[in-house]
Amino acid sequence: MLTPRSVLPSRRTLLRSAGAGFGYLAFSAMLQAANKPLASKQPHFRPRAKRIIFLFMEGAMSSLDTFEYKPELVKNAGKSGPGGGVLTPSKFQFKQYGQSGSWFSELLPNIAKHADELCWIRGLHTDTPAHPQAVVQLHTGSANAALTRPSMGAWLLYGLGTENQDLPGYVTINPPPNFGGAVNYGSAFLPAQYQGTRISDSGFLPNLKPASSARMQRNQLDLIQAMNRDLAASPDAPEPVDGIIESYELAFRMQGKLPELLDISTEPQHVLDAYGVKPGPEGSFARQCLMARRLTEAGVRFVEICQGGWDHHTNLHKGLIERCRQIDQSTSALLTDLAQRGLLDETLVLFGSEFGRLPMAQGPDGRDHNITGYAMFLAGAGVKKGFSYGATDELGVRAVEGRMHTNDLHATLLALMGLDHKQLTYRYAGRDFRLTDVAGEVHDAIFA
Amino acid sequence: MTAYRSYALALVASTALYAAGSPEQIEFFEKKVRPVLVNKCYACHSAETKPAGGLRVDDRNGLLRGGESGPAVVPGNPAQGTLLKRIQHQDPKRRMPKEGDPVTDAELAALTAWIRDGAAWPDEQVRLDTGRLEAAYQRIRARHWAFQPLTSPQPPALNSSWVWNDVDRFILAKLRERKLQPVRDADRVTLIRRLTFDLTGLPPTPAETDAFVADKRPDAYERLVDRLLQSRHFAERWARHWLDVARYGESTGPSRNIPYPHAWRYRDYVIDAIDRDIPFNRFIEEQIAGDLLPAADAAERDRLLAATGFLAIGPKDVNQRFKERFVMDNVDEQIDTVTRSTLALTVSCARCHDHKFDPVPITDYYALAGIFTSTELAAGLRNKMGGAGLDYYDHKALITLTSTVPPPPADKLARLQSELAIAKKEWDAIRGTPEGLALDSNGRPKQRQYRLRYERLQFEVLSLTDPATRGYAVHGVREGKEIGDTAIRIRGQAERLGPVVPRGFLTAFTVPNAPKINPAQSGRLELAQWITNPQNPLTARVFVNRVWSHLFGKGIVSTVDNFGRNGDRPSHPELLDYLASKFIRDGWSLKRLVRDLVMSHTYRLSADKLAANQEADPENRLLWRHSPRRLEAEEIRDAMLASAGRLELRPPAGSAVSQFKMVEIRDNGLESRSLHEAADRSVYRSIYLPLARGITPRSLEPFDPVSQTLVTGQRDGTTVPTQALYLLNSAFVRRQALALANSLLSDPKRTTEQRIRQAYRLVLNRLPTSREIARAAAFLKTAESAYATKPPKAPVAAAASLPPPQPDDPDDPDNVDRTEYALPEESVQADNARSAAWLDFIQALYASAEFRFIR
Repeated sequence: MLTPRSVLPSRRTLLRSAGAGFGYLAFSAMLQAANKPLASKQPHFRPRAKRIIFLFMEGAMSSLDTFEYKPELVKNAGKSGPGGGVLTPSKFQFKQYGQSGSWFSELLPNIAKHADELCWIRGLHTDTPAHPQAVVQLHTGSANAALTRPSMGAWLLYGLGTENQDLPGYVTINPPPNFGGAVNYGSAFLPAQYQGTRISDSGFLPNLKPASSARMQRNQLDLIQAMNRDLAASPDAPEPVDGIIESYELAFRMQGKLPELLDISTEPQHVLDAYGVKPGPEGSFARQCLMARRLTEAGVRFVEICQGGWDHHTNLHKGLIERCRQIDQSTSALLTDLAQRGLLDETLVLFGSEFGRLPMAQGPDGRDHNITGYAMFLAGAGVKKGFSYGATDELGVRAVEGRMHTNDLHATLLALMGLDHKQLTYRYAGRDFRLTDVAGEVHDAIFA
Repeated sequence: MTAYRSYALALVASTALYAAGSPEQIEFFEKKVRPVLVNKCYACHSAETKPAGGLRVDDRNGLLRGGESGPAVVPGNPAQGTLLKRIQHQDPKRRMPKEGDPVTDAELAALTAWIRDGAAWPDEQVRLDTGRLEAAYQRIRARHWAFQPLTSPQPPALNSSWVWNDVDRFILAKLRERKLQPVRDADRVTLIRRLTFDLTGLPPTPAETDAFVADKRPDAYERLVDRLLQSRHFAERWARHWLDVARYGESTGPSRNIPYPHAWRYRDYVIDAIDRDIPFNRFIEEQIAGDLLPAADAAERDRLLAATGFLAIGPKDVNQRFKERFVMDNVDEQIDTVTRSTLALTVSCARCHDHKFDPVPITDYYALAGIFTSTELAAGLRNKMGGAGLDYYDHKALITLTSTVPPPPADKLARLQSELAIAKKEWDAIRGTPEGLALDSNGRPKQRQYRLRYERLQFEVLSLTDPATRGYAVHGVREGKEIGDTAIRIRGQAERLGPVVPRGFLTAFTVPNAPKINPAQSGRLELAQWITNPQNPLTARVFVNRVWSHLFGKGIVSTVDNFGRNGDRPSHPELLDYLASKFIRDGWSLKRLVRDLVMSHTYRLSADKLAANQEADPENRLLWRHSPRRLEAEEIRDAMLASAGRLELRPPAGSAVSQFKMVEIRDNGLESRSLHEAADRSVYRSIYLPLARGITPRSLEPFDPVSQTLVTGQRDGTTVPTQALYLLNSAFVRRQALALANSLLSDPKRTTEQRIRQAYRLVLNRLPTSREIARAAAFLKTAESAYATKPPKAPVAAAASLPPPQPDDPDDPDNVDRTEYALPEESVQADNARSAAWLDFIQALYASAEFRFIR
């Protein structure tokens, strides 16, 4: 229903009343519609998931040593592989888990316990076998260096807004320091409010620590807001002043709430133990998992956490043991915790890397990049459980079934969130842009 | 009449240059040769893997061009080319394939026979989809406003004392048409603040404001305008606008972020050109073709060389696998920058297909591309996938300045060079071999020490031989080694060649008497002349519109970077043409243009709203009032420093980036931390801050700094809580507030009221009302007594600053250390209750919305 302009008090009038003791909350509520780019928005269709947690294994985790079991690779060990190189099966033992009978290697005993909750996509492929481009493409849909694109979290916020107005809607913890860096959580040409808020793996965010005590700062803020209301009431007031007044209140609330949320030390000991929280790099991913759960619970739309160090051209054997130890228990704990809190019904978990690794050996103990076929898993809201979609060939080189390009993955994720990737557009530099550029196909076979 | 070239082309193109063979040859290739390439080589040398050594064998051009060690195949001559040599190499470590089954004798014979027979490759038939839109293009060329010749409209004859110059005639005529009244004039205090920020990016000092308010001469405003136009700060402010358009950045950006240590010379060139009011047409010619213009002396030559930095300092993907793609991506970046900055057309859309909206066929794009493929990009870089250290640096690919470089000590150099040669040989021998990859007792690959030794010697040799390391180089362009037209790339894919297109310019509009491209040169000079030809309908319009938008908040065409059909239409087309043609008549002078605009009555209106006008024209497109504007990130920082008396107005030498080697900068590395620290410490104007891509100074970051990736004529203006958090809690803001607080308190004779007045004058550039004085005094009293009972937290000093950055030394550049060199947050606190209260008060002034806007 349209409200005739004259019936609503003007914002100017409201602001004057606000100065005269009109309740701040009422005032704020009335401003909401006009002033909140991050307010929750209607999706294009019924969403299957409300939030996403992305567990990013940066560097390309070797699926053939962890969750892709290829008997033909074992049979052909030592033979020359397609394109050259020696076919080399994993040195780790595989076995089947759960009703679904999914295969996992001994490196992931804890994640394996969730076999019947996971939804595998095993036919992924992408364009560039180099981390810098592939990481950026996974996060923004395009590796075009000259025209940086918005990250997928930014697109989600742009399309859906956020559920909790006191918190950033998009948080990235411990993102890669190279491979595009801030591009991977940036908003590019979308307005800046959609960019990801970067937090370190110890929960640090710049300028969040109050410069003075809460009482002194509130006094100071009252003075600032009094000045702002004077300005808003002047005949030559700039339009955005109302928004600025609002942003100060939000910042003040965020400053109270976010540090508390990121302070995982208040969790009970058994929870800390379940995740395997420790100080230092060894416990980094566990801390990130726990922060992710807390942020998700508080309504953050998109949380990404990151474990690097999977680029095993050398030292594959020991390297994988070490890396998997760092992520297996914590990932499993996160899945359990989300389920126990009922969050998994609304939260979609995505786990994986920018590409995979080849079945042929590289050097004495390594594997090179493979962009032609690799796997990721999903879990939680909107996807089938204990399900596997797509496949690589029998040696694990090339995706042959259920082939999904990065653009298809993005289209599918948006669809799970209730967004049509073709409709989610933003006009910039003379054309309409999408996360999926001019491609992307929704693979609804994985939908629950 | 120019013949449009798009429809004259054959529609079917072959993607492999003259490669198709007879059916027998093709059959032989498919049966005997392709399987060998696929099975024995693809794992390391194809589009889907990495092209080790820069070589790919899944594409004929890839074989012909070869990798780092030259062509792999020379058709007809098996004795040349590296392919057969490496397959038969004596040294098993160098023999291909390195892993898996070796090439059999039969396979080798087949490869040899195939090469001897001309290396036939099946011809891929691809439709080159061009020309279909020609009929639509003709209509658009004839009708779209921006492609029509520039006119010189007469200003409307109006008899009104409101009119102060011709700009006002156009504005008032439109307002009258719509029966709208302009609002009252701005008062002098508001006006001097507006004008000083608009022209110099700085606030007026209290003395300047007082003098202007007191100046009763009829030409007081004019004098003010002329004083500001003369100031070097005008050049710094307006150079920043151009640097936004020129997507200025001091590193390559995504993938591998390699610094541009000499980019600041381009920055300084722009400031200097604007300071001298170099005519805009000349300014453009210098940036596109400075190396081709005559120079009277060495200093002028160096200035013109620095100007070509415009074409070199864009974002680049140095980790690109294929040279051809690296080249064509950079050409695309140059085309986009040149055409959108000067013509506001999205020509880049025609890289893959005919432009869908504007009459830019793919043939036009490659006509321009030939100009840039005939140009050598000398950014100091080469492409390489998975490189490390100095791998991306090519010191020969920089422009050496003409100033004399003293010779290096010959003995020392000779010794180092021979050591380097040995180190390189050893490193090449062990690199990637099983022996090299085997772990030593420290758990690191054995080859590592060889690489480190090689890189150290590289650094040492370069520090003697490299003019850049010694400060005599710029990033720029020069004429290419090969000059010639280039082929259309089918669907924009660098390797898929279509027909060759003669070099030339756009056909969207006609520029009479446009110069013909000299076949012996790249064509950049003629391109620059074509762009700046007075009869080019876009260049002057686009620039005048950019300038207008900086002074009036919005362009006459609101899409300042897009004058195509998807862009906005002008709100005042006659005014735009009047200004553009006058700009050309006035010798393309930026200062005269700015002067004309700010001398108008329109510019001097107040920002007051009028309900009736608001209803009819809420966007103020008709200019019935002055639209308030946000201060940009640089202005906010500069104004804080200036008001606190800490701004250093003299320019610094160089940039913090200039001490860097061309080695990757990571977000968490020592290099980026040292840049952040340099930016935090700096008290120079913001234009001089280090601006490596992705490492935005913390004092600019919250306020929508320019993105540095594409031509940007208009900054974003978002309102986000991180801005509020920055203003409430950041060390930078509190440091300036404390400095100003202490300076106000330092004179014991001043009363509180006098101090409050001075604070308002310095920060908000106006006097407070009596109500504001009372409110501030009450705040100060409460705060001081609260701090007296509970003192502020003890100040925490910033960590000691870091040593100068060292090159990073990862085993594998893709597998870097992830330790965060966390930037410590300093806590800035006053050491007594009174100064703490004043700090809070001054900070509140900085945090007020009023500080962030000019009206």
